[in-house]
Amino acid sequence: MPDQPAFAGVLTGFGRALRSAGVSVGTGDVMSYCSAAGLLDPADLVDLYWAGRTTLVSRKDDIPGYDATFRQYFLDEAAPAPELLKLRATAAAQVQAEMVMPSTEPGTGAEEEQAMLGLMASDVDALKHRSFAACTASELAALRRIMARIRLTPPQRRTRRTKSGTDGRAPDLRRTIRESMRMHGDPAQMFWRQRRVRLRPLILILDISGSMADYSRHLLQFAYTARHAAARVEVFCFGTRLTRITKALEHRQPDSAIEQAARTVVDWDGGTRIGASLDTFVRKWGRGGLCRGGVVVICSDGLDRGDPELLEAAMERLSRLCHRVVWLNPHKGTNPNFRPSAVGMMIAAPHIDLLLSGHDLASLEELAALLPVLN
Amino acid sequence: MEYPQTVGELTEKLRQGGYIADRGLATSLLVSLSLHRPVLLEGEVGVGKTEVAKVLANVFGRRLIRLQCYEGIDTNQALYEWDYARQLLQIRALSEQQVADEESVDKLFGPKFLLERPLLAAIRAGEQAVLLIDEIDRADDEFEAFLLEVLSDFQISIPEIGTISALAPPAVILTSNRTRELHDALRRRCLYHWIGYPTAERELEIVMIREPYAVEALAEKVVAAVHRLRELDLAKPPGVAETIDWVRTLGFLGETALTPAAASDTVGAVIKDRDDLDLVRDQLEDITSGA
Repeated sequence: MPDQPAFAGVLTGFGRALRSAGVSVGTGDVMSYCSAAGLLDPADLVDLYWAGRTTLVSRKDDIPGYDATFRQYFLDEAAPAPELLKLRATAAAQVQAEMVMPSTEPGTGAEEEQAMLGLMASDVDALKHRSFAACTASELAALRRIMARIRLTPPQRRTRRTKSGTDGRAPDLRRTIRESMRMHGDPAQMFWRQRRVRLRPLILILDISGSMADYSRHLLQFAYTARHAAARVEVFCFGTRLTRITKALEHRQPDSAIEQAARTVVDWDGGTRIGASLDTFVRKWGRGGLCRGGVVVICSDGLDRGDPELLEAAMERLSRLCHRVVWLNPHKGTNPNFRPSAVGMMIAAPHIDLLLSGHDLASLEELAALLPVLN
Repeated sequence: MEYPQTVGELTEKLRQGGYIADRGLATSLLVSLSLHRPVLLEGEVGVGKTEVAKVLANVFGRRLIRLQCYEGIDTNQALYEWDYARQLLQIRALSEQQVADEESVDKLFGPKFLLERPLLAAIRAGEQAVLLIDEIDRADDEFEAFLLEVLSDFQISIPEIGTISALAPPAVILTSNRTRELHDALRRRCLYHWIGYPTAERELEIVMIREPYAVEALAEKVVAAVHRLRELDLAKPPGVAETIDWVRTLGFLGETALTPAAASDTVGAVIKDRDDLDLVRDQLEDITSGA
């Protein structure tokens, strides 16, 4: 390699540039990059490009970022599309502004609320049956604390993986032999392979459109709790289009996790296109195997402005792909004879295994209780 | 045969073996072979992820060792296993005195009773092997963690025998269909390459190298039609493997042109989902015509 230290400096500089562009690049990766570039022709930009792409990029989503940084760093190209950045910045600012929790909803239940307010602060039980839409800010804070304690455990399934045990179908010869060695060669006790059990994946798909505004933020809080309670949880949001927020919710601090998730989503309080969103989910993630054998929980009121046929096809596919579909509809409330009136809800109904309300804490607890036995 | 030193040579060798690699893939492979690092290939279904390992082994006279991953795969199926049935017989045959004897017990856990599984086989074969770990996303994450260990040191410890390590590590190719997100730790150990759909010219080249007896004009039309199919909103867009299948099917039936009728009869070679079929059947005229 010509002029080694200076050249390595250029390459590590590129690594730093990638890091500041948000691509996660470790020191080891940069070292591989340097040795890869050493193998190739360092004067050839194409070699430099491919060497970097194979050593510094480790997932498909990082490829556009890598391309842009490469162009900027090696080809001196100006940062692309400033208006796009601006758009993002304003969207983020808007979302932040909207993330302020709404205070009491004026209108229908106002007097009732006034009367019960004294009880609320202390009485958790009463709070449990209070619809999220009718809560004050301090009540909501209390609710959030309680919600954080709900543990979501998806149902279990038997896997192909086995472990040793005292009963089972197939003999565990390895252990039997080992034990019989201790008994001077007599196979004294038989050991067996048992099938292990494992939690099914849980997928939450939350409606954050205008009609669900009173509930969506709590559902987000709920999603955060779920994400941290069970092993395999994926969280998606949709209004007019679907966004995956699983990564954003990984943050350990609940507030910053939810804030980050909110920033990822750009269509807060907009219209609803359930059909299109579920269709995207099925095509992009579902068919890939994300929800195979899993429990899908959809939280929505079913007020769809899109094509009903699309919703029907998507629901049908979804129900074939996953193990169980649970639908939380806040409008169901505590009414046991609830009949869906929204068109979207009626279309989706035949494909739903369990319909719950999810409008207050008690119903979320009900979900948490039903989830492990959903077989 | 030694692995080549330049991208151009490697591309040429692969082409002779019937595989058309683009510059990116060839670079990844070359770097992987030279630095002894595994390479992780991701991409749509049917773009030749598995094929490249086969061709690589074939062209350079290496032994292809394939580990097909599936849910529940464990060390017994991936690494090694003792031949328990024979061990049991042996124990029964030993006399009282012999069982107490250290040596005969050692023999019981000697190479004679050790069954090689793909990973051990690859480490023993060392440089003489191409190890293909296929569809790693289908294995569960416990297995992935175990694989990390093997891939970083290329050595395996068997308690009864000791540590077996590769003198020179084998070429390792991992493939994933992205049904599950792989762990970052595994990604960090590997080089990465995403194989996308090829351009029409390249795809035609691939079809012709795979099906040398195909009529080129027909293959060209099929490639154009497949590209149009990929633009449609299909649940499962056809891969390169499907294109080759389609050309082969049409050739077998003795068709010389891609007419709507011929396409309608053979569309099952490319479209493998009922909803997609409905969508495509309505537009067969358009799909086959403009080509």
